[in-house]
Amino acid sequence: MSNIQSQRWLLNRRHFLRGLGTTVALPLLDAMVPLRASAAATAKPRRSVFVYIPNGVNGMTWQCTKAGRGYELSPSLKPLAKHKEDFTVFSGLHHPNGLGQAHVCADTWLTGAKIDAQGGRKYENTISCDQMMAEVVGQQTRFNSLELSISTGTGQPFNSNTLAFSRDGVPLPADDNPKIIFNRLFGEEVGGIGAQRARLTKRRSVLDAVLDDAKSLRLALGTDDRTKLDEYMHAVRDVEQRTERLDAWLDIPKPVVEKNLAAPFQRDVPKAQAGEYWRTMFDLIVLALRTDMTRVVTYMNGSEGNGLAIPEIQITQARHNLSHHNGDPVVLDRLAKSDAFIMQQFAHFLDELRAVKDGDEPLLDRTMVLFGSGMSYGHSHCNSNLPILLAGGKGLGLKHGQHLDYNRPHLKEDYTLSYDEWRSLCGKPKDGKARLSNVLVTMLQKMEVNAETFVDSLGPVSEIV
Amino acid sequence: MTRLLLPALTATALLASHAAMGAKSRDLTGLVRPFFEQHCNSCHGAKKQKGDLRVDNLIVDLQSPKIMGYWEEIMSRINSGDMPPEDETRPKPEEISKVADWILLQLREAETVRQSSAGERVAFRKLTRDEYGNTVRDLLGVNFDVKAPSGLPEDPDWKGFERIGSVLTLSPAHIEKYLSAADAILDEALSLRPEPKREVIRWEAFDMRWKGFKEEYQARGIADKVRIEIVPRNYTTDSWNIEIKTTGDYLLRLKLSGLRPAGGRAPRLKVYMSSINTTLIEQDIDAPEDKPIIVEARVHLVAGKYPVRIINSVPGPNPEGRRSRHSGTPNAFTNTRSRVPWQLKLTDDDFKPIQPTLIVDTVEWDGPIVDVWPTKAHQKIYVSKDAREILTQFATRAWRRPVQAKEIERLMKPVNKSLELGDSFEVAVKNGLIGVMCAKSFLYLEEGDASKAAPTLSDYELASRLSYFLWSSMPDEHLLELAKQGRLHDAKTLRAEVQRMLRDAKAQEFADSFPRQWLQLRKVGMFPPDKELYPDYDENLEQSMVAETLGFFNEVLKRNGSLRDFLDSDWSMINERLAMHYGIEGVRGDQLQRVVLKPEDHRGGLLTQASVLSLTSDGTRHRPVHRGVWMLESIIGRPPPPPPANVPALTTPDAKAKKTTVREKLELHRSDPNCTACHNKIDPLGIAFDNYDAIGRWRTVETIKDGTGGDPKLDPSGVLPDGRAVADAVALKKILLDDEAKFAFAVTEKLATYALRRGMNFSDRDELKRIVEASKADGYKLASLIESLVASPLFLKR
Repeated sequence: MSNIQSQRWLLNRRHFLRGLGTTVALPLLDAMVPLRASAAATAKPRRSVFVYIPNGVNGMTWQCTKAGRGYELSPSLKPLAKHKEDFTVFSGLHHPNGLGQAHVCADTWLTGAKIDAQGGRKYENTISCDQMMAEVVGQQTRFNSLELSISTGTGQPFNSNTLAFSRDGVPLPADDNPKIIFNRLFGEEVGGIGAQRARLTKRRSVLDAVLDDAKSLRLALGTDDRTKLDEYMHAVRDVEQRTERLDAWLDIPKPVVEKNLAAPFQRDVPKAQAGEYWRTMFDLIVLALRTDMTRVVTYMNGSEGNGLAIPEIQITQARHNLSHHNGDPVVLDRLAKSDAFIMQQFAHFLDELRAVKDGDEPLLDRTMVLFGSGMSYGHSHCNSNLPILLAGGKGLGLKHGQHLDYNRPHLKEDYTLSYDEWRSLCGKPKDGKARLSNVLVTMLQKMEVNAETFVDSLGPVSEIV
Repeated sequence: MTRLLLPALTATALLASHAAMGAKSRDLTGLVRPFFEQHCNSCHGAKKQKGDLRVDNLIVDLQSPKIMGYWEEIMSRINSGDMPPEDETRPKPEEISKVADWILLQLREAETVRQSSAGERVAFRKLTRDEYGNTVRDLLGVNFDVKAPSGLPEDPDWKGFERIGSVLTLSPAHIEKYLSAADAILDEALSLRPEPKREVIRWEAFDMRWKGFKEEYQARGIADKVRIEIVPRNYTTDSWNIEIKTTGDYLLRLKLSGLRPAGGRAPRLKVYMSSINTTLIEQDIDAPEDKPIIVEARVHLVAGKYPVRIINSVPGPNPEGRRSRHSGTPNAFTNTRSRVPWQLKLTDDDFKPIQPTLIVDTVEWDGPIVDVWPTKAHQKIYVSKDAREILTQFATRAWRRPVQAKEIERLMKPVNKSLELGDSFEVAVKNGLIGVMCAKSFLYLEEGDASKAAPTLSDYELASRLSYFLWSSMPDEHLLELAKQGRLHDAKTLRAEVQRMLRDAKAQEFADSFPRQWLQLRKVGMFPPDKELYPDYDENLEQSMVAETLGFFNEVLKRNGSLRDFLDSDWSMINERLAMHYGIEGVRGDQLQRVVLKPEDHRGGLLTQASVLSLTSDGTRHRPVHRGVWMLESIIGRPPPPPPANVPALTTPDAKAKKTTVREKLELHRSDPNCTACHNKIDPLGIAFDNYDAIGRWRTVETIKDGTGGDPKLDPSGVLPDGRAVADAVALKKILLDDEAKFAFAVTEKLATYALRRGMNFSDRDELKRIVEASKADGYKLASLIESLVASPLFLKR
């Protein structure tokens, strides 16, 4: 961290975010450039965001029928029209380990782990790919990563509220309240730097003491299997490191977010106003990225058990209910409307990412955004042919503007978009090699994580790199 | 099987494995291997190993996730009909069912064996967040709200149980929260700050709604008559800000009336802090306009500014159109007789209320309440000028065991660091206390000894197990004293302690949490009922449903009633809202009352309570299969195997076809012989409750939206796998009562799972049986059963 302190001269004044227009370049990002240059990371920042929607979609209105570059957007994807050259939509992807599971699909969306919801194994997840990224790029920002969700905490095993899992496979609790998140990111250090440093020093002394205490018992236990004590010790050590880092960051002022830009995050936004709530969360992600507070964000727009109803478009059923449509055309229509509504909010997110500049590039070009679900056909919990799209990251070398369809080569005829076709596509993968992990490993490599493979990946997706 | 003999296993586990092994190997050689020989070995045998799987010599190794993973794969493949492949001869469904059942038993065994701590020298069982909160309350007298945003993350559950050691995890985020929680809790508990002044913040009508009109009303001489009327569904409109200067306990007091229309519901007051999603008060208000009452609650508030909503949460017409808000010309509310014509009507022409209305006079925030200064906790902690002495005494209580000098020595580091930074002695000691509260011995229940294998609990460990079982909190001085004297292992002492502890107010924790977890009540409202299909469903109903089940359990426990009551009873604990839902007359008020049930009420016992019937539905319709699975899990104690992958959905409703019940569709759906094996066990147990809809209302026909013809009549009858016929829910309850010993076993197993924080396995079975048998003589009385469980050798087992 000495590199940060030795460049104190660069940042010895408060940096103000000019919130008057979102297109204004961000002072902080610019001011940080020489710092980065000295910090071995001469390259520009690489970022990833993961956005999850629960319970699958209405496949009949989601599915794009033509493959390749000249494809047409499906009704559900129409709201993304102006970003068409900035994303790739996939068909036929799946997690081999996720087949035949129910709502555990959210727990494993970014981990690809095999977790049986009811069988003989106990619940053990593995590291999620966002956390592998955070291990690499997290060192350069104040926060390793940011976990956001529709509900606070971790949720329960098999019905997770968070997409992020640590090296130990432990779920990382997420936050759902824009105000709390905003204050955590940008809030004043209580009592000024001196007091804050004293607090951190005292905190480290506590962590030291409890870690020593645990270590002495760990030694006495010898080389036992992995126990809960190790989990505790890893967690304490991790917080110790975070505390050290916070200490090192103390001398670098937090960006001050101008009042009118901060205001939307200081209100109560009830989840009953789904659109408003979602946009606020998306705006907060943009703000966190443009101020370089973090470069890795996971966001559950809804969890399997808590997908919002959307009263503003007269959808009073929660998403889980809509997904158990039982083939009822009325309910399916509502699901399609709900999908399109979510895509409108997502389009807003892409708008914002494109409007903000990071140096001479749109923030979107330096940010990969994976969007989708771990379920495809919610009514009987099917997990193949997942709705997935990958946006942004052109500046990292991603090629977009196409529909990569792994189903098409195995279909006898063109898509009919019938109910039975949708159901059958989701029941069993057409192409066993069309793995979601291939996309995840592509992203990992673009984030410069040293990973040849991720879980069951067969290699990066050649069409987009 | 040699792996089972690894030295890491303790003596008890070994014995158990031997006992289980007899039956296991018999079935393996007599049942499973012949099945493999006939259907599998040609592709997965000695010569060929398709998919790298060889089954002819596959053994059972409960400790090996990898080997048990193979078994699981085999089970799900043969269950789904995936294997043997289509071109091979099909095994008979009953053959598949037998083999799959046997594998399932091994898998369940493996799962619970791995939850047991016997394999670990020292086991760590994290306190749940509720237990953390209770422990802090008993240790320091602070009511820390663990569910608040500044509290702790929610804990995961295993089959409803939220306290299974191996399932509860801890991440860096937990440690960060524990650090700040300890800091905040100690700040509040200790008297290291200026003495807080108790103040009353008082909101009157003019402070809340009629701002700026006080003088005018004073001039008119009716200022003291002005009140605030609150009509139903005012969810966001009546919001005011409160600034809490000092964290602590407050008395929140409201003076108000609540007008109940004739034959209708009383208005319901809900005081809600939206920014932290916390409800401070929620209750029906039934008080005439001229006789306001005072409602008071003791609440814990953290310093800060909060919007507070005063909501009338009873359903009613949408008031938005005709809201009587002033616009320059005030029409402040004084009484229902002085309404002007364009205002929302609250009464009829005889001034009888026509909608449930709250009329608020004042809201008072009185606090923080500090009984003595310096606080009791402060006096108890700062007993010496020697930091070591202070830490030793505090850690002994906080860690629920004697501490060693070297443990305290480590905690002196934070104290010294703090002194170095210039803090006062007391503040520096606080830094050490934070260490005590973030140490492993505080956050976890520690069981075992690093230096030697210990198959049973020590006295102190036993005190904690007992205390966290019945109180979800730390042992009190009495328990710790018994542990110190080494008297706690005595069965008589244990029985006496259980009786004493159940009488204590803290036993409410058990009386609420156990039924909540056993019956998986967390799922009530998880998938909210569709507002169009179930317009009557509201928050109050949902709370009342859960309250009935908890109140029912409470009542059985308090009266030392029989477990038989859980299966059927001629009474229940209901309030007015639930009585409305059930169509039972004569129950008034939102407090639970013991009500005598008649057969035509179609209720009695747990199984036909609305909470259970709705948690097994999906918000749209009743789910007989879910209900059957729930019955097998919670009541029969024999959970079925998981469903095979990607089962096709029930058929799409067709507007032109005749209306069919869920049951009829289900029967078509499982015509596949592969499905029938399991569904024969599950479905009759669920279908028996078909007369209750997705929110637990009684009915005789199934309401169906699409299709031709009338709504079809429901048929709840079925046949159990053992051949006994079940006509309906009443008949099923009778059958279950005939099998009361089996039910008693299931409940005892759940109690033990809750108490021991792990699933029960084969080696526990004999002990469980003994406890159940002993309980038979007195007719399976609940409180006595708990005593027997605690006094049994099983309770001492690690």
